[in-house]
Amino acid sequence: MNEHNKRGVIANPLVILREEFDDRAILFDPETGNTFVVNPIGVLVWKHLDGHHDIDDLADIVCERAEAVPSDVTSHIENFVQAAVDLGLAGYEVK
Amino acid sequence: MAAQVMKTPRNVDIEITSFCNLRCTYCSHFSGPGDVKEDLPLESWLQFFTELGRCNTMKITLSGGEPFSRPDLRDIILAIVANRMRFTILSNGTLIDDEMAAFLAETGRCDLIQVSIDGAIDTTHDAFRGEGNFMKAIHGIHALQANHLPVSVRVTIHRKNVHQLDSIARFLLEDLELPSFSTNSASHMGLCRKNAAQTQLTVDEHSLAMETLLALTARYKGRINASAGPLADAQFWLEMEHSRRENREQPTGRGFLTGCGGPMQTIAVRADGVIVPCSQLCHLSLGRINQDDLGEIWRRHPELQSLRKRSRISLEDFPFCRDCPYTSYCTGNCPAIAYSLTGKIDHPSPDACLRQFLTQGGRLPEVTQILG
Repeated sequence: MNEHNKRGVIANPLVILREEFDDRAILFDPETGNTFVVNPIGVLVWKHLDGHHDIDDLADIVCERAEAVPSDVTSHIENFVQAAVDLGLAGYEVK
Repeated sequence: MAAQVMKTPRNVDIEITSFCNLRCTYCSHFSGPGDVKEDLPLESWLQFFTELGRCNTMKITLSGGEPFSRPDLRDIILAIVANRMRFTILSNGTLIDDEMAAFLAETGRCDLIQVSIDGAIDTTHDAFRGEGNFMKAIHGIHALQANHLPVSVRVTIHRKNVHQLDSIARFLLEDLELPSFSTNSASHMGLCRKNAAQTQLTVDEHSLAMETLLALTARYKGRINASAGPLADAQFWLEMEHSRRENREQPTGRGFLTGCGGPMQTIAVRADGVIVPCSQLCHLSLGRINQDDLGEIWRRHPELQSLRKRSRISLEDFPFCRDCPYTSYCTGNCPAIAYSLTGKIDHPSPDACLRQFLTQGGRLPEVTQILG
């Protein structure tokens, strides 16, 4: 398991989440002007990137609230979070 | 099926002032309800920007009047930045100095500064914009470029520059080394209505402009664009003509009043704080900033809903379009120009009518020019 899994993840406070329609949202980074389309599970995860939830916590939340969750959900969330971190949209909480 | 509407507008166009240091002969302003005597004070705009921040609006376009004429423009920009938005400014360029350009660059949030340039030499540009303004605008562009800001030029094509489009393109793209520029033409709005004979292209001139611009587009690939005016007309009308000749199926969205998607993403505010669907439809008051809830207006105002439903109105319903061979391929174009010319928003724009253009003796460019 990745060492990051136990660290809280926090969204970049400058980044805007726009929930445009029922099934689609976008993340907008005003610093770069970049936008990223996010699906409903991504939105659920994004809303919990508050520094108090690590990857396992996020996986638990998804399992609790979403339907037909795949068995490798943790790995999906890890990839999502890592992509967000790489793009400057989120970071790991520093202890 | 009804189109889905976002919960809040992504983009807001703001006429931050109705004051302008120029009086260009074909300006689309200065003869309508949007031309107010007093601008809103800074505090009102700052309050509104916090609402836009709550609405998760992404982009602001500041226009006027001339935005750089506001002495408190820096405070306005800083408030846009503080509320997590990016900005574009539409300007005549004459009031931009190095200090201002450096400030804009430091914000890191500038998407574009668009400067109006209508000629490759001062006499052409200044013919309708006033003496001395060409050099001032060029200095403004140099200041923006020196500070590595994204800068573009809008060329308004009119009767005094239509024969100089080659030299204008060369000047902007080669001498000034701009990445691109856009074009439109003097259209039947604002001061241009009064000065139409002096400024608006004749059918022959429109034909010439289309032909020249298509050739220039082929030469400077991807660097000249337009969403209105002769170049946009040439591209759209040629596609319509090909469709007619080949008897193609009606593409999705054609044959209806689908020419404007603005009300699905963008809303506008006049200099006096009145919220309108678009700065070109400034008579349609939807409410007032800091008094009315922007999200509510965006989602529920009957005028906006009506504009969004234009796309369900078939062109075949209009006597104007009766027996037109292009109806299946047409969109009716801009509702604001339709309103300006016919007094009706829910009407195709006669200004963009291919059949009318051809009937009046207009010529479409040769097909080989768009195929390169």
